[in-house]
Amino acid sequence: MNGELYLSRAKTRKYFIAAVLLFVLQMILGLLMSIQMVSRNTNLLFPFDIYKALHLNLMILWILLGFIGGLYYLLPGEVGRDIKHPRMIDFQFWFLILSGVGIIISEFFFTGANWWLVEGREYVEAGRFWDILLTIGLLTVVYNVGATVVGRKKEMSSPMIVLAWGAVGSILMYIPGEIWFNSLVAAEYFRWWVVHYWVEATFELIAAGIIALVLLSMTDVKRGIIEKYLAIEVALILLTGIIGQGHHYFWIGTPGFWLFLGGLFSALEPVPLFLMVWSAYKDLKENRKPIPNKVALYMIIGAALGNVLGAGVWGFMHTLPQVNFFTHGTQITASHAHFATPGTYLLLVLGIAYIAVPELAGKFSFSQYRGRIGFWVLVLGFMNMIIALVIAGIIQVYQQRMQGVSFMAVQNMLLPFYGWRTIGGVIALVGGIIVAYDLIVLSRPNTGGFIDETKEVKR
Amino acid sequence: MNNTKLMIIGLLVPALLLIPFSIISFYTDFANKNPDPLQVTVSFNGKNYDAVEGKKAFEQYQCMDCHTIVGNGAYFAPDLTRVYKRTGGNGASLAGIIQSGFPSKGMPPMRDRGMGNEDAYRLVAFLKYTDMLDTNGWPNNGSWDRDGGLDGTAAENIRPMGIWQVVAGIVFFNLIIFALVLAYERAKVGNKT
Repeated sequence: MNGELYLSRAKTRKYFIAAVLLFVLQMILGLLMSIQMVSRNTNLLFPFDIYKALHLNLMILWILLGFIGGLYYLLPGEVGRDIKHPRMIDFQFWFLILSGVGIIISEFFFTGANWWLVEGREYVEAGRFWDILLTIGLLTVVYNVGATVVGRKKEMSSPMIVLAWGAVGSILMYIPGEIWFNSLVAAEYFRWWVVHYWVEATFELIAAGIIALVLLSMTDVKRGIIEKYLAIEVALILLTGIIGQGHHYFWIGTPGFWLFLGGLFSALEPVPLFLMVWSAYKDLKENRKPIPNKVALYMIIGAALGNVLGAGVWGFMHTLPQVNFFTHGTQITASHAHFATPGTYLLLVLGIAYIAVPELAGKFSFSQYRGRIGFWVLVLGFMNMIIALVIAGIIQVYQQRMQGVSFMAVQNMLLPFYGWRTIGGVIALVGGIIVAYDLIVLSRPNTGGFIDETKEVKR
Repeated sequence: MNNTKLMIIGLLVPALLLIPFSIISFYTDFANKNPDPLQVTVSFNGKNYDAVEGKKAFEQYQCMDCHTIVGNGAYFAPDLTRVYKRTGGNGASLAGIIQSGFPSKGMPPMRDRGMGNEDAYRLVAFLKYTDMLDTNGWPNNGSWDRDGGLDGTAAENIRPMGIWQVVAGIVFFNLIIFALVLAYERAKVGNKT
């Protein structure tokens, strides 16, 4: 992004490629699950729960890979020095990948056999053994980032501070979910610390930081304006998000005052997300500098919009306790998750990958046709999935939760919409494969004999 | 105000508030009257099984990734919070259901997943415990247990002839999205030239 050369940057390329390949694998697992939901036949190679566990855990793994890669890619330019221990970047990558392979093998072959290998709680299914390994690996990332920041040669900009806070915070927030409690209530209480403080605090900080950093480098808007907006966004995200945790404590056996606190603060949670989109829109309107990397801009703006629609609007839709009493544990939640997560974090990781991968391969100008097609196919696929699930959710809330029709009878009614969701999944998978293929092609450096069809323009 | 100061206040104020909230949630009279899982036991063949062992088995067999518990989990299968009540508090029948499953509805016999009888009994103890949780009234009557019994409905197959409205909806929806994308991209090209 800035013209200086840092040797460790070249090592981050594999993080992005691995992230996007794991994303494709996650979508294949999701597709298999959606077929099981239509057919109610769980003998599709493996049972439903194993696919579901891997669908979530692979997502966590590739989001972490993308963010760590992005952090290592952006940090040297911001602190004016190379990463303190460049060899650790390689080591940490292979460590994470090996843990991922271990989690996949344990899920497929050891579910039910050993609690240390498969723990089977939503989002933190990885067994205790893998939890400890992952935590050690991620703490070394914290150390490496910290050591680099301590020896910095120039002041860090506030987007970078936010990004570092977010990355370090998300790694530390993995720990509360690993504490053993006898009580289900306490176990659920702290399991949500992992999930909620990731998606509604630390990952959200990373999102705000990356959007601000990209806008700073791509546009000619004044630094002070972007940084001021960022500070207000971050303060609001934390103010609303940390107590907004309460919306997970409505019905898990915690006291009734959480209904008030969770309802109030989580209703305010969309405010910083609206601010994020509005400031990005305003900045791009004022901008007079041409932006060559359109695909990355598509992804980043898509992430801001996906954040406000998926997390903000879709989240607000069922966050008030009076509404959540009926929507809790229905397909409404599935619709929200399939909008907010890919809408924000997938597009963010892809955005940072589309900035880093071509630049690391020395391609300052590249054909953006395939990337844009991939983006729109992904959007189309996910829109189908989201709308199908939201219709299914509304029917389920009305029939099952309000009218009291039995679970299975309602699931029978929802079959056409599950079928629609499968169609959306196929479309999204095509989009994911296009994007993954495009990134792999872009990651190959131009060799002497290779003639790129797009004209190479050096800056 | 300085940017960094603003962000630190944003972090510290709610984080410090969270500490008393967490303490009040578990250690005061505000806390819900939830049973101690060590005290909730069921007895089979003269042996006692407690809910803490059951919680570990519940995690080990990954029940939560098809079912939900207190509404959290996957939505493929019904919620289990009050399933002990739905079987009429009959532990032996519940253990039998866990072991033999409902293959036609998508629940595999847990026996085939390597579950021994002991683990099934532990799960019964855990489900007895979750039935006693005070979850602020959730789920109300008229949800997973309208008649207070187990769900007797059979799973159906999708009927290709009966879903033409949905197919029309899918086509219509996709045409709208496709038209919007096309209009957006063409307008962009128009701006550039």
